[in-house]
Amino acid sequence: MSSRRRFLQGTAAGLATLSLPGWLASPARAGTIGLEAGPGAGGPPPWPTWFGVDEAGLAVLLRELGKNGASFADVFLQRTRSVSIGLEDGIVASASASIDQGAGLRTVRGDQQGYAFTEELTPEAMRGAAATAATIARGKRLRTPVAFTLAAKGPPLYELPVPWGQVGVDQRLPILRQVESFARALDPSITKVSVNWTDNEEWVVIATLDGKLHTDVRPMTRLWCIVTATRNGQTVSNSANLSGRRGIEWYDEANLRQLARDAVDRTMVLFDARRPPAGEMPVILAAGASGILLHEAIGHGLEADFNRTGTSIYSDMVGKAIAAPFVNIIDSGVEPNTRGSISFDDEGNPTESTRLVEGGVLRGYLHDQISAQHYKVKPTGSGRRQSYRFQPLPRMRATFMENGPHTREEIVSSVKNGIIAETFTNGVVQIGAGDFTFYIKNGWLVEDGKVTAPIKDVNIIGNGPEALQRVTMAANDSKLDIGGWTCGKDGQGVPVSQGLPTVLVSSMTVGGVNG
Amino acid sequence: MAERTLEDIVQDAVARARKAGAQEVFATTSRRRQVELQRRDGATERLIESTSRSLSVQLYVDGRYSSQSTTDLRPEALDGFLADAVALTRALQPDPNRQITDPALYPKQLAAIELADPALLAGLDAATREAWVVEMEGAARGHDRVISVSSNVSFDASRSACATSNGFVGASAATGIYPSVEVTLRDEGDKRAADGDWFGARFAADLPTARHIGERALRMTVARLGAKKVSSRRTTLVVDPQAAGHLVGRLLATATAASIQQGRSFVANRIGQSIASARLTVLDDPLLPRGLGSRPFDGEGIAARAMPIVEQGVLRNVYVDTYYGRKAQLAVTTGSPSNRIVTLGDKDRDSFLRDVGEAILVTSWMGGNSDANTGDFSFGLRGHLVENGVVGAPVGEMNVTGNLLELFANLVGVGNDPWRASSLVAPTLVFEGVQFSGV
Repeated sequence: MSSRRRFLQGTAAGLATLSLPGWLASPARAGTIGLEAGPGAGGPPPWPTWFGVDEAGLAVLLRELGKNGASFADVFLQRTRSVSIGLEDGIVASASASIDQGAGLRTVRGDQQGYAFTEELTPEAMRGAAATAATIARGKRLRTPVAFTLAAKGPPLYELPVPWGQVGVDQRLPILRQVESFARALDPSITKVSVNWTDNEEWVVIATLDGKLHTDVRPMTRLWCIVTATRNGQTVSNSANLSGRRGIEWYDEANLRQLARDAVDRTMVLFDARRPPAGEMPVILAAGASGILLHEAIGHGLEADFNRTGTSIYSDMVGKAIAAPFVNIIDSGVEPNTRGSISFDDEGNPTESTRLVEGGVLRGYLHDQISAQHYKVKPTGSGRRQSYRFQPLPRMRATFMENGPHTREEIVSSVKNGIIAETFTNGVVQIGAGDFTFYIKNGWLVEDGKVTAPIKDVNIIGNGPEALQRVTMAANDSKLDIGGWTCGKDGQGVPVSQGLPTVLVSSMTVGGVNG
Repeated sequence: MAERTLEDIVQDAVARARKAGAQEVFATTSRRRQVELQRRDGATERLIESTSRSLSVQLYVDGRYSSQSTTDLRPEALDGFLADAVALTRALQPDPNRQITDPALYPKQLAAIELADPALLAGLDAATREAWVVEMEGAARGHDRVISVSSNVSFDASRSACATSNGFVGASAATGIYPSVEVTLRDEGDKRAADGDWFGARFAADLPTARHIGERALRMTVARLGAKKVSSRRTTLVVDPQAAGHLVGRLLATATAASIQQGRSFVANRIGQSIASARLTVLDDPLLPRGLGSRPFDGEGIAARAMPIVEQGVLRNVYVDTYYGRKAQLAVTTGSPSNRIVTLGDKDRDSFLRDVGEAILVTSWMGGNSDANTGDFSFGLRGHLVENGVVGAPVGEMNVTGNLLELFANLVGVGNDPWRASSLVAPTLVFEGVQFSGV
């Protein structure tokens, strides 16, 4: 990865990360990626007005990108408006808003990429950036499209009844206050509640060398509740959050009450929680957010860029049995309204539900355009980027395991001494060695087949292929988590989702404390 | 538009925001040129170039506050942006603690701290960047187990300016250059050993040679071959300088007025008290020449000055910005760290290893986290067994778990070998009686 980006993030070589907002930053600071004001009534206007770039303008840019030849090339135009609002100490008194727009221009030759971006959307600035990107190639000028066909879209995955651009700030504020009051009512030992809100709407136009044009409007929202409580001189804090490609109607009373209850429950249980013992033991992964196991243990390892370059532990495993026959793992862009949903990817390829492991057998990789050409397969619609500032990479979308043959009760009662992992803050994987970790914020001790005491603050470490082989039971309760997960790779963060049924991993190393 | 200076842009933004209804305004703008070249296995993998820009304003409107940013700097777009921004601000609740920076805290004159390499401000030419990646890759390929080597050099040069409605205008320029190498080697079975090396500096002349970085990347990766799980144990933890800053950063992560006021800081009641053994002293120094965290003024315009954070284990100061200073009734210092510099001891890593005999040496961290209220932590690690005072077999799949206050109370050694490619400059650190989880 870029050493400058690594420097900013303080990460070591060959690592990919997954985290919830706020957990790796200073705890009291809300995210400040922000923004405001919408396109006015009636939804977004026709795409050529978004950036002041029409078909003729796109044709000029692609002509410039292809002037030295190319395997392919693309123009990626993006405008994101976002609004963040914070409630702290009983008042809604901070907000940030941003408009982030720009153009990313790319020329690809084999597996070599030339990339340039500009925030200045004048014909001269964009053409200059295209000329820079084109320097990667040294061949003859390509014939490039002069007209474009608007690509057909699949079924809508995140069309909103009311786009964020039409929602007034005054409609957002009561939601933060409601979450606060629900939370405060739940326990008298609560001393602080803060609530952070973000919504954004992203307009995207992608034009490719084959004359296809893709436009999309992508919403996203997240609501995050942090609770601090003090009892007998002991102070604890924790949080819960909801996120998805959703609109304001998603924040109904039931969802807000559940968010408040989750935040409060996860906080109060810390008063009595302790560290489990250190060492190897059975780990039960609770249904939902435990999909972090799949994200770290196998998902990153199946991103085709790491396999194309031979740097993944999974590089030579396609077609082999890597897990029990009841293990089926999917990475899907087409689950509606999740963080990982995308109508088409950031290279304009249609997205899909990609079966990674079927009946325990490794089926294939997550591809972007470059790796699909390398392997001569159809792209899986997995080419994603953080924004116009970045080139696409193969990325996960919503990664989950389907139901298994067991029940949660069978799984818990089968464990003599182990733990249940329930909520998580972050995880990381070393792509080549396959070692991964994830951090458990809340969990439970299991003794003689029974859930006994709450545990907290332990890191779990394992090895991807070994952990998958050790998945000895999976229940029939698979669900996608609705937390605001962001996956980090090569300095780029993209929103993702994950899910799992209750699963037993027969042995992983638990970072506990002995004696 | 291109002819306007950055100072013109921010002063114009302040005037427009006031016209739109803001009483006080803090505006910042920057222009940044970046180039990144990455090579993999003998060919260019990607070349990325950009010139980017943005404007952000903090608005104080009728006792209310918001911050706003945009990359659409067209003058015709700006007034609409600011009108929307003022309207959003007015929809919020008033907060008496939101005040623009006290003008007495702005710098009287800007310190000369060498943030920009004049040569890099002019750019990094194609031949120079090509030479970096080719030489680093060449130096890292010398092993028969090499699967892949990627080498990368990126540089940036930026200029920024800020202006406020209460009398401050400041500008600065900065550069940085960051070379790195990643090496993947074939290990046992399907496993790959991957590691690398990287460095960063404001001046090109302060970098190690390309050969040095490439060779060290290969050496670090070869050392990972055959990593094994070892048994759980309580023993001495020796942290390599490149990994030591992480622990100091975690110890100080909640030493802020924001964390303290929000009731999420395990050092909240310890200002003036011990948070570590007497061996630990940490200075925050924004005026360090060429420092990666150096700055003439902070994000609020507060003039840079050196500030002791920890002196012989005692927490002396915390980071206090204007807002949380008012809320927590603490005197304003600065809201965020600049360069945090650990005062050096008199031995290097290998001397400590000889002294301790048995230990776990950590070379890098793998995930994990810590609790803001208690300081309880659990981190994954990569490192080596130390036996009879020498670096032995690489260990994998190991966690280290404990409490940051207890860990730093057991800090028994501070090295003389700082790793400087970070704004948190730390040497080898040695801790006794630490819990490790393995087999």
